[in-house]
Amino acid sequence: MLTINNLVKHRGNQEILSGISFTAKPGRVTGFLGPNGAGKSSTLRILLGLDRATSGSALIDGKPFADLQHPLATVGALLDGSGAHRMRTGRAHLRWIARAAGLSRARVEEVLDIVGLTHAAGKRVGSYSLGMGRRLGMAAALLGDPAILVLDEPVNGLDPQGIRWIRTLIRERAQSGHTVLLSSHLMGELAETVDDVVIMNRGKIVADGTLEEVIGHYSTLEEAFFAMTSEHTGDVV
Amino acid sequence: MRAFNAELSKLLSLPGIWLALVIGALAPAVVAALDSIVEKADIVAGISTRLSDIGYIGLGFGVQGVIIIGVLAVSSEYVTESSEAGGGQQITTSLTVVASRLQFLLAKACAVIVISVLLCIVTIMTTVLATQLILGEHAPEFEWTRLIGAVCYWTFTALLAFGITLLTKNGMIPLTVLIINSSVVSFSFLLTKATKLAFYLPDRAGMDMFMSERYLTPVTGGLVMLAWVVVILIIAAIEFHRRDVAA
Repeated sequence: MLTINNLVKHRGNQEILSGISFTAKPGRVTGFLGPNGAGKSSTLRILLGLDRATSGSALIDGKPFADLQHPLATVGALLDGSGAHRMRTGRAHLRWIARAAGLSRARVEEVLDIVGLTHAAGKRVGSYSLGMGRRLGMAAALLGDPAILVLDEPVNGLDPQGIRWIRTLIRERAQSGHTVLLSSHLMGELAETVDDVVIMNRGKIVADGTLEEVIGHYSTLEEAFFAMTSEHTGDVV
Repeated sequence: MRAFNAELSKLLSLPGIWLALVIGALAPAVVAALDSIVEKADIVAGISTRLSDIGYIGLGFGVQGVIIIGVLAVSSEYVTESSEAGGGQQITTSLTVVASRLQFLLAKACAVIVISVLLCIVTIMTTVLATQLILGEHAPEFEWTRLIGAVCYWTFTALLAFGITLLTKNGMIPLTVLIINSSVVSFSFLLTKATKLAFYLPDRAGMDMFMSERYLTPVTGGLVMLAWVVVILIIAAIEFHRRDVAA
């Protein structure tokens, strides 16, 4: 369970988040949408303890990230790129993470297999394509078999096969009772995958509910999204 | 302990670290060998004034290896992937794997200390071997206290590089300044010509732990350098603890 409560973030004299609140529930995939600069990544970064909130809270199973006993087994995160150093091999990257969490080398091979990177595990991350880097990032997120996944643009750079793989994986996690929060720009893709939707615009939540509720009287999620985030209506909805 | 293992594994899987280990283990021996060759005639004749510092000169110049280790341990976290690769940084992974930033820093600092100490011990062996091969029976006796001083000097230097890089987040500036200062032109040495206070700069004070020509006693020198290390690490840790990774 992820609980964002009245989160405010200032950077310089800019207000990036103006008191946002929402939850991502177990057994459901929550889609997190918004135009570039809406504050999605900032929210995810605060949730993962990478950035500090000016006020408000972002809790993982009721605790701030810094209080988690076993972070890797609690929440798996995929942020920008692969999150690996380009001179290290994919396998070496996963191995140091496994060490930090007290996981076995066999588990590293398992996740390499799950994400389909076994063949490239001995190559340096610098030689990976964007899609391979994202797969490596997914492998790191899955390493501790966490009950919660936080994914920032997971399908970015993936080929159609990869997109389908992510979609299936996410649905399976939710069906087995896990919590998944993912941000994306791809409306069509999201509409296929998510149960709940949170839409942000300019640091505020403009819609929050089940997929059906958010689509409401619009014909598609995309229509609803543009109606809520376009310049003229964004502040009204 | 797990975090420490992870940091050790991280460092040893970086090619740059192995380059630093090779430089650190061999450069001082080469300097000691060259120095021994130049001084050999004087030493055999018994008129060399520098016999007591043969070998230690190399250990003084040879800190580049640990400087690279201290810098890379931090700068590698902040290397940004190309925008085509998604523009990520390893630091985001590091901090989502270990919950506490302080624990992360301690683990990393300990990994740097362990590698620096081991490297220095290996280097002392290669350096002693080099002087003995060239000077034979005329080679100076190496004193344990001074060698321990050299190990401390290397370790403190690595930690200084580590702390400074934590503040800059980028390896280029600390690497350039520290390496030039320890090899080509020693700014602190030049400053000692202008003011006695410069003898209290970390590298000058630290060298007094094992060089025979010194301003401070070895223990005072060591404490002065340690004080620099502690202050810089505390400032760096506070800054690291409160700053946003994205900032």
